Order: sequence, then structure tokens, then C-alpha cells
Amino acid sequence: MLRLVSRRARAQWQLLAALLGVITIGATLLGTCTLLVTRTAERALEVAVARAAPSAVDVTVYTGAVEGRDTRSVAADTRTVVTSALAPFPVTTTARASTVLRALPPALAPGTTVPPQAYLSGLDDLPARAELITGHWPQHPGDAVLLESTAGLLHLTPGSRVRLGAELAHPPVPAIDVTVVGVVRPLPGRGWDRDPLAAAGSATGYRDGRFLQPVNAYGPFLVDLADLVTTGATVDRMEITAHPDLSHPHRRDLETMAGAVRSADRRLAGTLGDRVTLARVSSDLALTLGNADDQRRATAAVVLAIAVLGGVLAATALVLAGRLTAGIRADETALRSALGASRGQLAATATLEAGLVAAVATALAIPASSALHAGLTHLSPLDDAGLTVRPAITGAQVLAVAGGALVLTAVLTVLAIRPVPAPGDRRTRRELLARSGADLMLAVFAVAGWWQLHAQPTVASARADAVRMLAPALLLTAGAALALRVVLPALRGADRLAYRARGLALPLAVSESARRPQAVAAGLLVGLACAAGTFGLAFDATWHQSQRDQAALSVGTDLALTLGTTPVPGDGAVVSAATAGAVSPVLNRGTAVGQWLGTAGDAPRLVAVDTTRAGALLRGPVDGDRGWADVGATLAPRTRVTGLAVAAGAPLVLSGTTAAGASLAVTPRLLLQDATGLRTSCTGPAVPLDGREFRLPACATADGLRLVAVALPVTTDVGDEPVAITGPVAIAVTLTVPPAGSPERSTDGSDWTATSAPPVPSRMRDLTVQVSPTPTGTALRMAATVDLDSADDAARTLVATAFADPGPVPVAVSARFASEVGVASGSTLSVTVGTTPVPIVVAEVVPTVPSAPGAVAVLADLDTLSRARAVTGDLTFPVDAWWVGHPAGPDAAERATALHLGTVTNREAETARLTGGPLRAGLPAALRLIVPAAALLLLAGVVLHVTCDLQARAVEVARLRGLGMSRRGIRAVLLGQHVGVLLPLLTPVAGAALAQRPRPWPDRRRTAAAHRRRHRCRRAARRGRAGAAPRRRRQGRPGRGPPLRPGLERPRRRRLGTRRRPGRRAGPNRPPRR
Amino acid sequence: MSGEPLLRVRDVHRSFRTGPTVVHALRGVSFDVAAGSMVALVGRSGSGKTTLLNVIGGLDRPDAGTVHVDGADISALDEDGLSRLRREKVSYVFQSFGLIPVLSAAENVAAPLRLARAAPAERERRVELLLDLVGLADHARQRPTELSGGQQQRVAIARALAASPRLLLADEPTGQLDAETGLSVMALLRGIAESEGVTVLVSTHDAVMMALADRVIRIHDGHLDEQATGQPYAPVPDAR
Repeated sequence: MLRLVSRRARAQWQLLAALLGVITIGATLLGTCTLLVTRTAERALEVAVARAAPSAVDVTVYTGAVEGRDTRSVAADTRTVVTSALAPFPVTTTARASTVLRALPPALAPGTTVPPQAYLSGLDDLPARAELITGHWPQHPGDAVLLESTAGLLHLTPGSRVRLGAELAHPPVPAIDVTVVGVVRPLPGRGWDRDPLAAAGSATGYRDGRFLQPVNAYGPFLVDLADLVTTGATVDRMEITAHPDLSHPHRRDLETMAGAVRSADRRLAGTLGDRVTLARVSSDLALTLGNADDQRRATAAVVLAIAVLGGVLAATALVLAGRLTAGIRADETALRSALGASRGQLAATATLEAGLVAAVATALAIPASSALHAGLTHLSPLDDAGLTVRPAITGAQVLAVAGGALVLTAVLTVLAIRPVPAPGDRRTRRELLARSGADLMLAVFAVAGWWQLHAQPTVASARADAVRMLAPALLLTAGAALALRVVLPALRGADRLAYRARGLALPLAVSESARRPQAVAAGLLVGLACAAGTFGLAFDATWHQSQRDQAALSVGTDLALTLGTTPVPGDGAVVSAATAGAVSPVLNRGTAVGQWLGTAGDAPRLVAVDTTRAGALLRGPVDGDRGWADVGATLAPRTRVTGLAVAAGAPLVLSGTTAAGASLAVTPRLLLQDATGLRTSCTGPAVPLDGREFRLPACATADGLRLVAVALPVTTDVGDEPVAITGPVAIAVTLTVPPAGSPERSTDGSDWTATSAPPVPSRMRDLTVQVSPTPTGTALRMAATVDLDSADDAARTLVATAFADPGPVPVAVSARFASEVGVASGSTLSVTVGTTPVPIVVAEVVPTVPSAPGAVAVLADLDTLSRARAVTGDLTFPVDAWWVGHPAGPDAAERATALHLGTVTNREAETARLTGGPLRAGLPAALRLIVPAAALLLLAGVVLHVTCDLQARAVEVARLRGLGMSRRGIRAVLLGQHVGVLLPLLTPVAGAALAQRPRPWPDRRRTAAAHRRRHRCRRAARRGRAGAAPRRRRQGRPGRGPPLRPGLERPRRRRLGTRRRPGRRAGPNRPPRR
Repeated sequence: MSGEPLLRVRDVHRSFRTGPTVVHALRGVSFDVAAGSMVALVGRSGSGKTTLLNVIGGLDRPDAGTVHVDGADISALDEDGLSRLRREKVSYVFQSFGLIPVLSAAENVAAPLRLARAAPAERERRVELLLDLVGLADHARQRPTELSGGQQQRVAIARALAASPRLLLADEPTGQLDAETGLSVMALLRGIAESEGVTVLVSTHDAVMMALADRVIRIHDGHLDEQATGQPYAPVPDAR
């Protein structure tokens, strides 16, 4: 048997080489994909984790209310717990702690009746978090540095000594003396948002929930953490952040660490016991690893889908090759059967041959797949993602290659022992039914796969991966099979039509196409290979476009600067100057819709931006022909806010009176707006309404500010002994704004509105506001009658705004918001900003809101949102980022980063991260494989088919020559019959080419213009040829066939052809010879 | 057998090289065939019969010598000229029938008419006539694989006659047929040669077939051994 196989192999080595080539290509593809989903995926996970931002892998432990005597032990124990949770990775820890408020000498903060308080903060990496302005860093116990703003407010300079007295709302403790040794400026993005005052340096009317009365808080006094724990001060909050060194991670260690971090809360509580009132472990590490694993699985699903597709393609090529081989060996098989070989012996021979082919293919495919994989990793994007590896062989790869080769060669075995139908055999009804049933089942499975793809959740899951893995191959195979069902009847129809032609070449070519054996297998291979190639190209193009769209939606704009600290007036101008783009402050945070807070980790998002420039600012696709400018136009306010100009550093003066001399006071809060639309609020001290003028703190810290709103909470607790006042009292308050140097655009007060803030607006009535020029500036006169029957001070706030109440804020909601909340255009509801509910009305439903892709999100105009909040007395203006549209130059991101205002992201970087990130890079790499693999398998299959066909039809060619058909005619027949099969199936290639077409389609006007030009050219050509037409008709009269006599007539004698002489060739004016 | 012969072969040589070996298939073959006659070319396998027929039909070119068919020197013809020769003057009947498997019997017979670009109506009429002549009018739509050997050969003969050739070359047309069927095929050829005036040159090594020929030419190892006039034609029973 072995001798037969070896001798046959020697005789049919070309055929076996082709089979071996097909199997090797398929097995190599499987091996490479296996390496991508194992070796590369593991490496990608490690690289992704190693490159993760510190915030994504850091573990922070928050502890609260630690008595002074326990501070040291709590800090040490916390470090131990968190370090052990992150084992076996090396860990570095940083810690910060803030004490409870302690009494500050009143002399440091004069002019207020509210007691000043201050707190200490200890940081063990202070120089990394702040920039030293003057003095030096703490070196000795008792040394402290202050923030620039705190030092300015308290008039403290290096060398000043301060005694921090009793702790607020705590038992008496010894005072702490500190020496100011320096002044610092906080660096953005270094955790200052977790400072009790968010690094603002001070807060008037501060309440932190432990005590009822508001205080004026200052601080922090920044000391070394080691010094702080020795002071015995009660620590209000302490955080210890552990950063694991993941530069050389291993998957198993990462999983161990994630599990330990998840259970660290329990161990921490057990360790710290009742030494703390609060202990919480916070970390995104598990989420980061989970996301990375999800992404790895999603990429693996696509890579495996490519592998399955390649396997199906290789199997199809093998089915064709196997049938051709069986056909070529049909005589030999028949002879062996005639000689007495049983079916089992035939199967044994086929299996032996297939096994040998599989072994050789495996031996070739293993190094080939290793080399191909290593080569791929040296190309972008795997190379860019740092996933370059050297060729290596893994167990999974060997298994995949060997298994794939065996499965593929099993196809050959089955076909070898299958009875070969005789050339004239027609399909039986049973065979036709079986094939129709198979096609139907394929179609049903394809529809089920399509439905599953639609129905599956967007997040990765094992079930979804199986669907993603199998559905493409199923859909493409079903599509190719069904396309064949159309192509073959079409060819048969063409066959009938072609038979009407006079010549032989066309009908013979079409007949061969329509009736030839193996046409279905060849057509399926061609169709499937073209479909797979098209799928690969189109998937790649679509995936890259989707990543670009995803990046655009994820960032929301061209460049986003997410703030690490509270912005100050003038920041927008600085950002605008640095980026030279359209700049807008942005609110981008979670919110509550009515009482609904969303699901865990998927809270509704509120994005508010200057929608008057939505077209320049917002990015991401909008449905239909609309753009973000159109959406923004429906959200933007009709008028802009004018307000009153306030010069930088101008002293604003407030005075007020009450009827009947009632002792009342107001604590003015001002809302100022800069040129970029940023609004900042400024709160002054309580001002008694006794007719005296009080200068407010310098609220205008930059040029170009305008006062747009004033809130005046009216209180009765003036002085040390509050006087009980009842009944309605009329008050009049005047805020004088010094001239800003430029003429006022509006000083008649017509655009100012006075309202009484909720929750009980009825406690103020007769509200008026007037703007009038005075010698010292512009006076904003506000008056009201206050109902003082209730002691609730929060319910009596006079609000004067430079705009009217906007009513419900028009918003655009995401499609998911509309679906989950059940709203449509015109629906009204409310969202919460901070603690203020804001009524909104749905004006638009958009696919998704910029910067919140796929989220339940709301897009609003920041100005309108601020107006709606201001009229309720909430003058805060939360801003989370600056968005920049159309920044100038490729280095705009670097220039924005150099401002040190926060974290900068831009679309280009995000696109690069999404397409070239280590966890995603395997996907485009795998897509690169399928196109050449499909091309190679198609080429191998077609060459095999055509070669076998020509070999089988060599005799037929001789017969055609014997009939008098010229070689040219025979070539035309052969070419025509193959094109007849290939052409309909090759049309997807054109689709693939179009999918890659970078330019947009010409618009209708250009198309029409081109059509008109072509039409003119044709008319001109017709005019130019008009004179030549008769001659052409004379010369071009088609030759007629030889006239035949009735019966067995002899054709008309014609002169036989002679050797062609030079000059007899058909020229442009000579019709071709027939 | 008087006047200008339809076929004139003069000193034709043809050899083939197979590796280091040179096989001389034809060594100075010369003979004439008169128009309207039926000549049997007799010889053992490998004697050069098929090579001689291929040279005469223009499927092969001689190394030396000339072949004139109906007065035309086919050695001077280019490929197109040879194709036209086969289309209009010379037809073949192969031992293995030579039918195109994907075409039906009628389509096979129509093939030479299509090559001659006959008008469709005329083509259909002639195909019908020819199939009726060979007794296969009822099998027009069947493909070759659905016909018996004798039927296939009769279709081949009908096809060979479709373009009204002057010379019909038949290469062992009964080689794959049983004796009875072979005899009927030869009788058909003989009848057509007489009724249509077609010159038939048929290679065979069947003595019965030789009996039907007007003349027998023997070929041995590339040489013509003997030229002889065959026995007078005696009608044979119709074996269709």
C-alpha cells in the first residue's frame, strides 16, 4: 500500500503539491491565529497593564476620624495590608492626611463675625504635588508651607508663626505651633481634588457636616506626614495610595493580585478594628484587569472568526481539489475495485496518503506560522504596540496546526472513498433534496447567526464570543452558496440565450460554464474567497472608521483638557491662546434624572457645553445629514448675557438698609463671567444692612469679567447676640460696580431680573432690581420685602440676574437615554446638577452624546444650564474640562499639556490608542491575514481546477481543432467559460475596492457635469465621424456564413487562407478578418 | 478514378523525438486519392496511420514533402488557413468519437455549421436532416454520455458531414465498437461516400472494413508497402 502511495505521489507530484499547498496555507493560518490569541494576547495583556495609567492600577485606602494616638499605627497597618494585597509585585506607597479643623487666631482673618478655622495636611511626597514659590520645604518638626492663596488671605509669609488651637467639635487637645517656611502652588492632577478645600486655600461659610454652624476655613498648613503623626492631632481623613510596579507582570500574578485587592476591604476592617470610624479600599485595578480581559476576549473572538473563516475557505478549496483528484484517479480506483480491492482497502490507502500529507503539512505549517506570526508582530500595529516577538513554537500552536491539518486532510479522505459520479450521471431526486436541505439549513443557521449578532449585548461575554467567532464564516458561506444558487440558473438561462448565436465560441463557452462538472465547488471557492477577502477589507475599513468615530465620541471634541483643579477666570483665554481653537468650558459628570441614578457604574451623564459653537466643538457622528451645529442651534439660548463689566481688582462696594432699622445682614454671592463663558462665583462676608458701605473681597481677578448674577441670602444673626425679628421687612441693597473703562452696553437694567430663590420663594416679595450709573460706577439696586416669620435662613434669598428665568432647559438626549427613560422630543423632566434640580425639556434625540458614547446621557447648553441654576440661587458653576475645537497645529496637545491645567486628550491620540493599543492590535493584524490567505487559497484552487480541467480536456481541444476551430477561438472558449463562472462571483472584489475608496463619492452636481461633458464629447465624435460612416458600413459588413444548398449542399467555395503578409493586419480603418 | 485526384501526398516525412530516441513515423509516403472514392489505410498499431491522417488534415505538419487537398498545398497554409481547410474541406471522424460532452447530439452536429456561421434556420434544418440520415433523429437532445458507442460514432459521422466536406478522414472509426455496430458504421460511411460524392480515407485494421473500400493502402513502419484496389463493393445489411 505504501509503495502504491509513494509511486502515485511520484507520478502525481504536481497534484499532491497543490493539495499540500492548500492544507499548509490553511494550517498556517490556524497556527498564526492561535499564536495571536495565545502568545500575543497574553503579551498584550501584560503590556497593557504595564502601560496602564497609575490611576487605573493604584490602590487607595481611605480611613477617617483617627484619634491622634492611633495615627501612626493606623498608617503602618494600612500600608501593610495594602502591600500584602498587591504581592508579589513591588509596591511604593504615598500617604496624605488632613486634620480636623482647628481654631485659627481671629487676628489673622479680621472683618468677619465667623470664627476662622484651619487644618493641617501631611504629605510624604509634598514636593511632587506642589511647586515651591518662596521659602523652602519643611525640614524640621513644626515647619509648614502654605498654598499661595491661603498665604495671601492670611497675610502669612515665610517665618510667620501660627498657633492652631482647639479642634472644632472635639475634646480639648493641646495647641499646635507651626512655622511657615514656604509658599507653594498646587500642581494639577496631583490629587488636590481630594483636599478638604480642593486646594482653594479658603472657604467662606464652610460646613463639612460635623458641625452645624458655617465657619471660614483656611488651609491646609502643609507639613511632612511623619511630623503630622507625631502632633497628636485628630486626623479627619487619611489616604494611603499604593502603586504596584507592573513592569513585568504575569497573568497569573495579576489575577492573584486582583482577587486580593477585592478582599482587601475585609482584611483592612479586621486589622484596623475600631481605631478608625471609616476604612475603605478604592481601586480601579480589578476593573482595569476586567476591561483588559474583556478587550482581549473581544479581539480573540475576531481573530478566531478569521481563523474559522480561513479554515472554511481551506476546506472549500480542498473539497474542490479532492473532487478533482478523485476524478483524475477515477480510472485507477475503478481498476483497483475491479481487481478486488474492498472499500475498506481503498479508504485505508486514502487515509494513509492523507495522513502523510497532513504530517508534511504540519511540519511545514508549524515553522511557517511561527515565522508569519513573528513577522506580523514586526509590522504596525503590533510593532507599535510593543508586541514584537521572535519566532517560537508553542504547544497550542502545534495542536491547532496538527488538528487543522488532520481535519482538512479528512476532507480528502472522505472525497477519495466517495463514489465518483460518471460524467453523464444526473443528480438523483434524493441528492437534489439533500443539497437543497443543506442549503436551507445553512441559510437558517446564517439567519440565526445574524439574529444572535444583533441580539447579543455590547459587552463581551463567552456566549457572544462564540457567536462572533462562527457567524462571519456561516454568513459568508451561506451567502456564497445562495449566490451560487442564483449564478448557476443564470448561467443556464444564458446558455439557452447563447445557443441562438450563430458562432460556436460563445455558446460553447456558456455551455461549458453552465454544464461543466465541479462548477459548484469551483464557484463556491471563488465566491467564498472573494467574500472572505471583501469581508477582511471591509471589516478592516469599518473597524478603523468605527475606532475613529469611537475616539471622536469618546473625547467629544478635538482636544479635551480635563481639569485637575477648579478653573479661575482667564484660564479659558490661556487655553485659547495655547491651542488657537474654539474654547468652551464644559460640565461633564454624572447626574440624576429625577430620582433615577442609573445602574451601578453606568450613571446618567450630563454634558453641558457652549452650544452656540457646537459645530466647532462637538465631534462624532450624528444621524442623517444633520451636524452638531444643527443640534446646538436648538439648544443654544436666544440671547447672550451682557451683565456689568468689572475691572480686574476693582473694589465692589455693598451697602444696604432695612425698614424700621431691623438688624439684618446679607452674605453676597456674585457670579462673574469671563470672555470664554466661564463663570466663577465669589462669596463675600456677611454685610449688615445698616447703611454702611462694605468693600467686598477682590472677586474680579482677571480682566474682561462681567457680573451676571448676585444672590443675597438674608440672615438675622448679625453680631454676637442675634435679635429676634418677625413680620415683613423691606430691604434695599446696592452693589456698586466701579467703572471698567469701557462704556457699558446696557445700564438701564432692562435685562436684569430679580427673583426669590426656592424652596419657599413666597418669603420674599416686591422684588425689584435696577441698574443706574453713579459717579463711582454702576449701581445695582435690589429691593424686596422679606417675610421673617420663619427662622429658616435658607429660604430667603434675593437673586438678581442679568437674564430672565430660561424655564426648562432644552436638551438633546442620547438614544439610549430616550429608550431607557422612555422620553421623546417635548418630554419634560429634571436633572440634578450638584444639589440643584434643573428642569429640562427634550428637544432632540441623538444617537449618542459626545464624550459619553453609548451612555444614558444628556447634552445641554452650559450657559442656559447656569442660568436655570442661578435663578434658583445656586451660583456655583461646576466645570470639569475645557474643550477645544479645531486646535491649530499637530502639537496643540503638547502646548495644552504644558499649561499644567489638567489631563489632555485629543482625537488623534485616542484613535491611535484605540487602533494601536496592545489589546486591540491583534485584530487588524488578523484581518491582514485573511485577504492574502483568501487570495492564495483562491489562486491555488483556481489553478488546480483550471489545470485539471485543461488536462482533462486536452483531447477535447484536439477535437475542436479537428472541427476547424482556430487556436484563438479555442482560447476564447476556454477563457469565456472560466470568466462565465468567475465574473459574477468576482463582483465582490469591486465592492472591496470601493470599500477602500478614500475619496467621497462625487456629488450629484459633479456627476451631472461629467455626464454633460461626456454627452458633448459623444455628440462631437458623432459629428466628426458622420462622413466616414458609409465607408465604415461598406467595409464593416459582417461576413455571412457559407450558403448551403437544400439537402447536403456543399458550401460556396472560398479561397483558402494563405500565410498572412505584412500589411494585411486589421487596422483602424479595416474591419477585422473573419 | 480519372482526372485530378482530390488528395495528393508526395514524399511526406514525419518524425518525433522522444528524449534521445527519434521515431520516424512517416518515411517518404506518396499516394493519390481520387475524388469520391473510399480508401482504407491499413496497418498495425504504430505504423503511422494516425500521423498520416493528421498530416493530411492539417493537424500536424510534415517534416518534408507536400500534401495537396483539392488542389491546395496545405503545407503553405498558416494556422488560420488550416483551420479554414478543416472547416470547409476536410472532416474528421475519431476512434473515440470526439464528441463534446457538454453538448447534446444535435448541438454536436451543429458545431461545424456554427463555425461556418450558418444561418440558424438553415442550421436547424440541416442538423435535423443529418441526424435523420444517421438514424438518430429521436436522440437529438441527448448528450454523448447518454448514447451508446455506435450512436456516438454515428453522431460523429453526422457532425463530420455537417459542413459538406470534400474529404472525410476517419481514424479507426470502429475501433471501439463491436463487430456488428462497426460494420453498420462502415456501411454508413460507404453509403455516404457514394451518395454524396465525399472522398473517404479511413484507417483500419479490420479485414471486413477493408472489403468495403474501393482501395486499400497498406502502411508499415512509415512506408507504404503496397497499394491495391479492394474488392468491389457489396451492399451489406443495414445494421442500424
